[in-house]
Amino acid sequence: MNLTLAFLLHQTLCGALAAVGFGMLFNIGFRSLPWCAVSGALALAVRTYCLDGLGWNLEAASFAAALTVGAAVQVLRARADISQNALDVVGCIPMVPGSFAAKAILAMFALTSTTTDASETLITAVQFALRVTFTIGAIGTGLAIPTLLLRVRVSR
Amino acid sequence: MDAIDSLIPEDTGSTPALEPIAMVALDAGRMLMEAGASANSIDAIVSKFARGLGADRVDLRIGYASMAITIGIGANGITRMREVGHLGVNQRLDQELWHLAEKVSRSELTTSQTRAELTRLATKTPRHSAWVMAVAVGLACAAFGRLLKVDWLGTGPVFFAAAIGQLIRRELITRHVNVFICAAVVAFSGSLLGGLGAHWAGSAKIDMAMIAAILLLVPGVPSVNALNDILEGHPTLGSARAVTVAVILIFAAAGLWLGKVLLSHWGIET
Repeated sequence: MNLTLAFLLHQTLCGALAAVGFGMLFNIGFRSLPWCAVSGALALAVRTYCLDGLGWNLEAASFAAALTVGAAVQVLRARADISQNALDVVGCIPMVPGSFAAKAILAMFALTSTTTDASETLITAVQFALRVTFTIGAIGTGLAIPTLLLRVRVSR
Repeated sequence: MDAIDSLIPEDTGSTPALEPIAMVALDAGRMLMEAGASANSIDAIVSKFARGLGADRVDLRIGYASMAITIGIGANGITRMREVGHLGVNQRLDQELWHLAEKVSRSELTTSQTRAELTRLATKTPRHSAWVMAVAVGLACAAFGRLLKVDWLGTGPVFFAAAIGQLIRRELITRHVNVFICAAVVAFSGSLLGGLGAHWAGSAKIDMAMIAAILLLVPGVPSVNALNDILEGHPTLGSARAVTVAVILIFAAAGLWLGKVLLSHWGIET
């Protein structure tokens, strides 16, 4: 286990800050912003623990974190007076692999002009693109499962 | 009277007017969609409005750029369509629309009162000021930067570059510039400022600082809505949202690429 408490706290705080910033961008009122911070902090805490504490890969850790946030939001949304969708998304936005997406597209741009190492560039582009796809898929599915399960339970 | 005519009940003429109910319900759905809601939420709110105002039957079709509704009361029914504008994210408007929907579903408001309330919400729902949003976005991107392992020297430039990028984005949106062009311009300016700032500050993570400074462009709500819509039985709308997300990412990457080219032209290695 490579995880230290200081690193876990750092990641959690950064997740909370990013979620609050995006919450304001989504025009969430000041009174609801603490819930955004909780959502982002929870997502990053779980993901960091799974990644560095349990040694999972990014996709699995993101799925576990999104599932946890989705379940927590289902429990807390009545108290937070905020739409479930917004609270889910601001919490998980810090986990969106934006840098992988940028690197994948830049590698594809580079392919058009690369004369040497084209196959290496192609593999890099495909690797990053696949990681983005699977990670976003993991986050979306993790968020959707609690909602879909709750809907089944309510409709019975 | 033939066999089919005999199946249709007679119009008694005593039912409420269908047209205003259909248009008010459609407008509520349109506003919710433009505020960043998923298809199921839109379906639910339109049904609440229409039934609360007296409709017996409600069927809704949600497209990326338009919505169509069929409502019926007794023997009468009409179908109407409405164009949907730019899909943004406005959580406070979303919240207010749901509060209004609760009132309407309890039949506390007439159709004209509901219309007046919708107009009030569209014009009077408050937004954070441009400067507050710029600072918030700067902080968010700086935090993103730390998550991407940008060193402390590069974090300050990421904050300023993202804040300026947000101000530019707001200005372009006010001028109704195309959303994809807007993404490319913001990505170019944000990455250039982030890269230059990180270089001057002596950061060893210039490339990551450039990427962190444009993460305000991450289309988080559309991405999650796209997947939700597909999972919840609206694959057409979900696919349209996914394509839009992909094109925004391509334009943002093009802006980032231009920024990188310019920096390497000036001798700064990224």
